[in-house]
Amino acid sequence: MSSTSLSSSAAASMERFDRQTSRYGSITMTLGLILSLAGPIYIAFFSGMEVTASMVWVALLAVAATFGVLWVVEPLTYFPILGSAAMYQAFMIGNISNKLLPAAIVAQSAINAKPGTKRGDLAAVMAICGAATVHLTSLLLFVGVLGTWLVHNIPVEVIEVARLYILPALMGAVLVQCIVSMKALRPTIIAVAAALLVNFAVIPLVPAVGPFATALVVAASIVFSWVLRQRTAQAATEN
Amino acid sequence: MQTPFAVAAADPSSTNIWAIANTPILWICILGVFAVIFVQTVLYAKAAKAAAPHIEMPARELKEAFRAGAVASIGPSLAVVLVAIALLALFGTPAVLVRIGLIGSAAAETASASIAAGTMGASLGGDSYTQQVFAVAFMAMSLSGAMWMLCTLIMTPLLKKGGKSLAKRNPAVMALIPTAALLGAFSALTIAELPKSNVHLILVGISAASMGLCLYLAKALNQKWLKEWALGISIVIALVSAYFLHTA
Repeated sequence: MSSTSLSSSAAASMERFDRQTSRYGSITMTLGLILSLAGPIYIAFFSGMEVTASMVWVALLAVAATFGVLWVVEPLTYFPILGSAAMYQAFMIGNISNKLLPAAIVAQSAINAKPGTKRGDLAAVMAICGAATVHLTSLLLFVGVLGTWLVHNIPVEVIEVARLYILPALMGAVLVQCIVSMKALRPTIIAVAAALLVNFAVIPLVPAVGPFATALVVAASIVFSWVLRQRTAQAATEN
Repeated sequence: MQTPFAVAAADPSSTNIWAIANTPILWICILGVFAVIFVQTVLYAKAAKAAAPHIEMPARELKEAFRAGAVASIGPSLAVVLVAIALLALFGTPAVLVRIGLIGSAAAETASASIAAGTMGASLGGDSYTQQVFAVAFMAMSLSGAMWMLCTLIMTPLLKKGGKSLAKRNPAVMALIPTAALLGAFSALTIAELPKSNVHLILVGISAASMGLCLYLAKALNQKWLKEWALGISIVIALVSAYFLHTA
């Protein structure tokens, strides 16, 4: 098999993978969306709670004022990292930054695949499948079945500590792992500099930026990594 | 037509949240969401298996990626379980499973619920937190989550078109964008933790150092499993440290 026919069959099969996952993904996500709304609609409007539509509208508007921008910004932020197939998984399974992204990175580094490559994309999708399996099982088992029992047996202070400190306990490790597996010095320096600048200079000056902070750092990292890329290393990145 | 169970339990002004929050119909809807995600996982894994041989990716690597993802998510999943359990009394099991466990995150969903309760002049968990307030808060959280999914459904095909034309024009950009975006996202999320408190600051350091040590040992001793478990080990070390720092 010549290298051209091999690469064209690779392109065709990735094309088919994209088509399949887009179809499966959008159908399952639409179903998930409907089912996730069916429960609260039943509770609010069909079980004698005397909830009016205006109560719901006012509450939703208040929530939208806080999180409305993230509805749009988060999919934009995560798309270049996840790729289209994993988008439909990630936004239904949830816990993207603290669970799914780390899982995808770990998997890519386990088989030495770079993100954005075909192998990297398939590894990310499989990693999220693995993460979803563990997550669904542990939720059903530990929260669904044993939850009530556990509530009375786990010391309150342990839960409190986990709730308060899970983010720093996770993020430090994930950042180091990310830096090590990327092996990209300039983008690393640029990303850390951008994050420091946004967090300690931009946000204190313009607090309204707060909800956009992560998106802003991501955008700055992409733009400046490109502008300041190592031109002589071009050949190496094309391999 | 209501189930006798719901009729007996439902009272808008009652503060017995669990009575309404654990109704069987709600359980059925929530288990439906679990089933949908499970079906999606199976379909995706099948699609990946079909595509892998054509890009010279052995089936072994797919299995390795699946296992790595599964192992990496044990720590974070158990962390979510702990937080979810802490929130059970507030929202009941089905709502916690679908909002905190799936779709959203504990921080965003709890914030949404608290904002929604506020619009009804109530506070979560307080005397004013009635079944009616719960119903509105749950509805608001779910609608907010639905908007996230709706945006994903609308924007993903559009972004894909943009991504494709960019990939054809300039493959170097497409290689650089995910790298820079990931580094940017985790730098931002990590650095946002630093100013929260001294304990946060120390924990980021402990967590980062644990990961560094695990990765170094994995390489020096040629122990691949350590690379997969590194995240879980780092989280446990950091959380145990957090317990002592917090109670000290």
